[in-house]
Amino acid sequence: MTLNDRVLGAAALLLAAFLTWHGYDLEAPFAYEPVGPKAFPLLLAVVIGLCGLRLLVKGGNAVAANPPGANVRIAVMVGLVAGYALLFQWLGFILASAAMATLVGRLFGGSWRRCALGGAGLGAAGFLLFDRVMDVVLPLGLLGDLL
Amino acid sequence: MSGMFDPLALGFGVAFSPLNLLVAAIGSFFGTIVGVLPGLGPINGVAMLIPIAFAMQLPPETALILLAAVYVGAEYGGRITSILINVPGEAASVMTTLDGYPLARQGLASVALSLSAWSSFVGSMIATLGIVLFAPVLASWALAFGPAEYFVLMVFAFCALTSLLGEQPVKGVLAAAIGLAISTVGVDGNSGVYRYSFDLPHLADGIDFVVVVIGLFAVAEMLQMLENLLSGTSIDVPKSARKLFNFKELAFTWWTTVRGGLMGFVIGVLPGAGASVASAVAYANEKRLIEGKDPDAKFGRGDMRGLTAPEAANNSAATGSFIPMLTLGVPGSGTTAVMMGALTLYNISPGPALFDTQPALVWGLIASLFIANVMLFVMNVPLVRVFAAMLMIPNWLLVPGILAISFIGVYAINATTFDLGLMVAIGVIGYFLRKFNVPMAPLILGVVLGNVMEQSLRRALSITNGELAILWQSGITKGLWAAALAVVVVPVVYRWVGRRRKE
Repeated sequence: MTLNDRVLGAAALLLAAFLTWHGYDLEAPFAYEPVGPKAFPLLLAVVIGLCGLRLLVKGGNAVAANPPGANVRIAVMVGLVAGYALLFQWLGFILASAAMATLVGRLFGGSWRRCALGGAGLGAAGFLLFDRVMDVVLPLGLLGDLL
Repeated sequence: MSGMFDPLALGFGVAFSPLNLLVAAIGSFFGTIVGVLPGLGPINGVAMLIPIAFAMQLPPETALILLAAVYVGAEYGGRITSILINVPGEAASVMTTLDGYPLARQGLASVALSLSAWSSFVGSMIATLGIVLFAPVLASWALAFGPAEYFVLMVFAFCALTSLLGEQPVKGVLAAAIGLAISTVGVDGNSGVYRYSFDLPHLADGIDFVVVVIGLFAVAEMLQMLENLLSGTSIDVPKSARKLFNFKELAFTWWTTVRGGLMGFVIGVLPGAGASVASAVAYANEKRLIEGKDPDAKFGRGDMRGLTAPEAANNSAATGSFIPMLTLGVPGSGTTAVMMGALTLYNISPGPALFDTQPALVWGLIASLFIANVMLFVMNVPLVRVFAAMLMIPNWLLVPGILAISFIGVYAINATTFDLGLMVAIGVIGYFLRKFNVPMAPLILGVVLGNVMEQSLRRALSITNGELAILWQSGITKGLWAAALAVVVVPVVYRWVGRRRKE
């Protein structure tokens, strides 16, 4: 599937439908003002819907395809970042960051050895700088008993 | 006259506190680095620092000084890569490449760097003086604004922002509406009704704007960097014999610099039009003005005036865009929109009353702009090689570093995994929106202004019991509607005339 304005328009229409569907029943239990909680979201749904219609009808502006192999790498990167988000608290900042930096670094062309070293350094230095020096509390995770 | 300088003295009192001086220096340094790194601009730097500043429990004026120093610093830093490797470090320094890089190729890299640091300095100083002169006047005038005026003012800001953003205004409108829709998530303050929160406790208070901003500007940015891995750029320019510009070059470029600074200030004050527009307009204007008079002008081939005009303009516009944020509560650029979001974290809502209720904050910020500017100028002349060395950081270390800092920032707000996951999801959506050429600035402005805009509309209509006429009855609203119409129609007509002329 090629990405163009038509696809964007369809997505916008879906969003508008979603906003309308979940916004239409919003009623204030005690209405003491003329404009209730649903007017503004519905107004936005109309604006988004009109933009979507216009894009859908007019089409064009195909997005240039990514270079070969890029899509796979981007998907892997999304997976890594999502994994980092899910494991951030459980593994703790140091371990999660070291793992993320090693794997993401590989995607950006570093060697295993350099990325692993860089990742370990990033995890430890980041923790010391933010948690210990700047007082921004970070999760300890699995290392909780050691630190 | 003395009345005007009393608050400024108060401001310098705040700005000269040791903590604020230190923060201004750190912010300037960090901002310059962010500006140097291609792909990262002021908005990314500011977005990364907001939650961290908040988590460190910096007082609001200190946090704002930090962010302002980063913003102005990034405008300084952007020029370094433009000149050295022909890659603009951030969007507003695209015009700087046009004459900056040719100058570097002629062996004048250091001269170009110091001269552009000087013109950035002059531009920022002009704009900071402009703030001192005009902001209080505008604020006292804006005190007369009622909810209807505010609503229309915000409509005007969105019109200005989307119509200036280029080829497809419909995508700008779409972006703004998406941003506004994001702001409606969570409990509605007036009625207590939960909107679009699907009984998720994490969504009950709405989506934190930091989550949106970092998703859009850190996660999406990294995905894009992976897509177009910068390859083959090298810092290969001949060594310069001379480090500093001389008096002759200073005099040669002086009026161009001043004109660029003034123009940048005016453009920066308009809501919506930011530093990129200012530098483009200033460059085009200087080129037209000078090529008519001076047969020796060589714009595009290394004319020093082509370097100083856009540099003065982009710094001046960045500084000038503080005016609408501070006086009206309607940000003048994407970056000030993010900063306004930062103030709301502190429960401070910017607007005309800010000058009366928080004079230390406002004047401390303004005084800090003076100080940060001097620091940046002093830093940027001798340390230019240090900043350029930042380009040597390999991507495999830089990208994980940026991700880690972004995650720290988002985690710092609520300490939940939910926010991190939401940020990643927003980042992936943002990546696709960028592929579709949907501009990000209106979206951010929508998230930041959404609540105020809805509240103004509802309050205005409460006054008249639902009668829509209040939205265009007063003189101010009429003027604002006319201005909104003008910013939409004029570029369309301009483009149409241009196309006709070509045919």
